[in-house]
Amino acid sequence: MSTQRLEEVRSSFLADLESAGADAEAVEKVRIRYAGRRSGLLNELTAHLRELPNEKKRDYGRGLNELKKEIEAKLTEANMAVRDTVVNAEPGQIHVKGHPSTVSVGTAESRIDVTLPGTPLARGAEHPVHLVRRRIEEIFLRMGYDVEDGPEVEDDWHNFEALNIPPDHPARDDQDTFYLADGHLLRTHTSPVQARVMERREPPIRIIVPGRVYRRDSDLRHSPMFHQIEGLLVDEGITVAHLKATLETFLHALFSDEVDVRLRPGYFPFTEPSAEVDISCIFCGQKGCGVCSGSGWIEILGSGMVDPRVFEAVGIDSERYTGFAFGLGLDRVAMLVYGIPDLRQLFAGDQRLTRQFA
Amino acid sequence: MIFDSEWLTEHLDGAPDLDTLAARLTDCGCLVELREAGDGAEKWDVEVTTNRPDAMNHRGLAREAAVAADAVMRPLEFALEETGEDAASLASVEVEEGSACSRYVARVIRSVSVGSSPDWMQRRLLNCGVRPINAVVDATNYVLLELGQPLHAFDLDLVRGRRIIVRPAETGEKLMTLDGEERELDPSMLMIADAGGVIALAGIMGGADSEIHEGTTDVLLESAHFDALSVRRTARRLGMRTEASHRFERGCDPEMAAVACDRAAALIAELTGGRVCKDRIDVYPQPWEGQRMEFSVAALSAFAGLEIPTQRALEIFRGLGFAPEGQGDLIAVTVPPFRVDIERVPDLYEEVIRHVGYDAIPSQLPILGTTPGQRNPNWELVDRAREAAVSAGLAEVMTFSFIDPEIDDQVTTGPLCPGAPLPLDNPLAQNQGTMRRSLLPGMLAAAGANLNQGERSLAYFEQGRVFSLGGDGPEEHERLGVVLSAEDGKTEERFARLKGVVEHLIDEVGLPAVRWVRGGAPWLIADAGAVLTDDDGTAIGLAGMLSAELAARWDLRQDVAVAELDLARAAEPAPPRFEPLPRHPAVTADMTVEHSAELSYSELEEAVRELKSEQVSSVDLAARYTGAGLPEGSVRTTLRLVYRHPERSLTQDEVNAAQESLRRRLAERLGITFA
Ligand SMILES: [Zn+2]
Repeated sequence: MSTQRLEEVRSSFLADLESAGADAEAVEKVRIRYAGRRSGLLNELTAHLRELPNEKKRDYGRGLNELKKEIEAKLTEANMAVRDTVVNAEPGQIHVKGHPSTVSVGTAESRIDVTLPGTPLARGAEHPVHLVRRRIEEIFLRMGYDVEDGPEVEDDWHNFEALNIPPDHPARDDQDTFYLADGHLLRTHTSPVQARVMERREPPIRIIVPGRVYRRDSDLRHSPMFHQIEGLLVDEGITVAHLKATLETFLHALFSDEVDVRLRPGYFPFTEPSAEVDISCIFCGQKGCGVCSGSGWIEILGSGMVDPRVFEAVGIDSERYTGFAFGLGLDRVAMLVYGIPDLRQLFAGDQRLTRQFA
Repeated sequence: MIFDSEWLTEHLDGAPDLDTLAARLTDCGCLVELREAGDGAEKWDVEVTTNRPDAMNHRGLAREAAVAADAVMRPLEFALEETGEDAASLASVEVEEGSACSRYVARVIRSVSVGSSPDWMQRRLLNCGVRPINAVVDATNYVLLELGQPLHAFDLDLVRGRRIIVRPAETGEKLMTLDGEERELDPSMLMIADAGGVIALAGIMGGADSEIHEGTTDVLLESAHFDALSVRRTARRLGMRTEASHRFERGCDPEMAAVACDRAAALIAELTGGRVCKDRIDVYPQPWEGQRMEFSVAALSAFAGLEIPTQRALEIFRGLGFAPEGQGDLIAVTVPPFRVDIERVPDLYEEVIRHVGYDAIPSQLPILGTTPGQRNPNWELVDRAREAAVSAGLAEVMTFSFIDPEIDDQVTTGPLCPGAPLPLDNPLAQNQGTMRRSLLPGMLAAAGANLNQGERSLAYFEQGRVFSLGGDGPEEHERLGVVLSAEDGKTEERFARLKGVVEHLIDEVGLPAVRWVRGGAPWLIADAGAVLTDDDGTAIGLAGMLSAELAARWDLRQDVAVAELDLARAAEPAPPRFEPLPRHPAVTADMTVEHSAELSYSELEEAVRELKSEQVSSVDLAARYTGAGLPEGSVRTTLRLVYRHPERSLTQDEVNAAQESLRRRLAERLGITFA
């Protein structure tokens, strides 16, 4: 070690002091690090003097003295600057016990341009598909529905057979299925959870099932992975009129009381009768626009009365109970509500998309 | 399916204007999706649901339209003249017993001259999207579109032995189909053969060798009824989908086979100058018998939630061809042969409800017990995790559940591997070939994409499932992943920021307390990575700076901090409990320790916590220093201790004494020095 070491300490001191600025606490930290009574670096440098051979002591000693003086002077200067702040801040000078620093209250160090932008908050954000899911869950929770969950990797029974889709049923064509090497499949809809819940629970059953589903399809309007929410109500004496009112109530709560709801006969293997449900276009007031392809109506969900075959498959007395089921695409609703044009954008992992929903 | 509006209304008496007709069809379940101007008529794209093959032809849709729009179906009328020559003397049909063919009707038409079909026919075919070929083939396609019966015409001279044999294919047999492809056959497939071998795929496509051509003079016209499942399986196996297979798969009308055969024969005769031989050849061992069904109108009304008059139900079934009979509250019907979808009473309810219309049904909310809704605990868990991440300032992303198997290999050697991989049998692409066993690959690919978009700092999370194959089959595990990246800052600061986020998540989600143990290869840098283990030493997470090797894999040109947590061990955090607020002031005292870098901070802090006076209410890190002034491999750590007595104010001397005692004991325990 030689005078070179002194130079190093000198420059690191100057840098530390510079960055401490007029912050009393920071200046005090610098003081402790370099000139502290017990742990200061100067102590260590002084101790080193004794170990040096005589011929080197002279130069080193002189340098050390200079450094000590400089550090003391700079620290005094810095403390003055700190104290000055406090002195200038006469209106409310406070000493906090146990803290070396002083803070000033009720003054400004300089005139502030109040039109400068504020420091941005680092806010987190939920994915729009989850925003929509939570909104829909909330509506149904208020109506007394439970929110259920089930596996994404399913067996053929729950995904197809229990839902009245036997092997070789043409409806399997519409739901291009991903199969796993071990014989399971990726669920093509959230409906298997209906079957699972009915297998283990007695009516009355009132559930919704949000979740991730998979179909072997990819283009602007299809993604191999997407999200659905499913509803099921089973009890004695459930009617088509109950289904209709429930869907109207839900869609009014989700969109607005102003939307018209239209049920059209449709076909699903697990409901009989089935209905496709449209809402009047929320963008053009049914004058016709791009979103509704000029028709004034937007197809929003599929529904129907539970097919008695499904009840029989899961062990519910189909003579005694009736029920209804419905399902809709969460991604589709998110795209509709927030104006997102490409379904696949939702799953690209782009944080810029989500930040818009902060 | 595309319909020609003129062709459709031709079957109706008293049809309304086209706008009304389209609206009524939509209301009863045949959605008219698109109407366009065609040649001489409108082209209607009508979505007929897959359970209704009977409406996938003009006459079938007209039947629906008649009931929906208060019109009347015209009877199907055409003139068929036969010669004295017996068809059976010119050709024979054998259906092997047990074959998936319940009826085979054939007619022979002689002396045809094959030219093109007339304009009116070509126009209608083109409007429906069918390319005209020649008069004979066009006539069969025309009848398919009109009556829904698939037909096939053979050149009778090319049918060897003039014998038609319906039988399964033999192993090794091959057939060149009309589309010029050679098909390999197996015994699961039903064939039309002649004396020399296979000449057509039953219900799917004819063979090239017996095709109608310009020189054809005698035609054998096939109008058969093949089993839906057999056609479906064969078509799928051969990767074929034709107009004929599409209809057979969904179910055809066995009674229509005869009518359609006559209709097509009459058309061929008219268009080609041919003569129709006497009688149909008809192999129909078990003629169709209509199923009788009965239902109560009161039960139907109760189910619908609307009082439906018996008269209205009778009208609907009459129009739909169910020959209903009413007796008091009961209606008995015979299911017509074209309605393959009607099996049980609720199927009958649907017929009435869709023609009465959902508009007519009142809205009435169901009345159930006023029990509050519950959320499944797993939803509570994942939403708690998601909310924790959002409260840490992170943006949520979603990436695909399937990833590149090559990248998935990294999971096998890393910590947090949930089990064996779960590959897809039929992935859309090679790089989506296996179910993810970690969230990191998808999230890191997203990091590359985000940086390429010009994002400078990354702060996002993903919550989702990873998948593996365990001893009892597939397993799903809920995970939470974090990616952080900033343009500048020291590694230490980046790591500290990540750790702050992870500690917050662990707390909020309710995961057990973890130890941060150096590790995390191959994902993390050896010097800046940690595996998070619980009390048993089981890894429940990893966190640290991404290794150079993996950063290169996704071409990340900026340091990225990543973390992944498994949520299985989470329990709902206990609700906070109020502690009485201290009434006496605290005294803060710092303690600076110089020690070897081998002594980890957590070891130091643990020792302090163990040896400290009971009046110390908190121990925190105040400062840490390495570098100039310290020997190589040494660290200076300043701890901030807060002393507090519940009943009185502590004096500076008391605190000094406590500090001194602590120093002494620490020095003994750890062999460290004090500054
Ligand atoms: Zn619109």
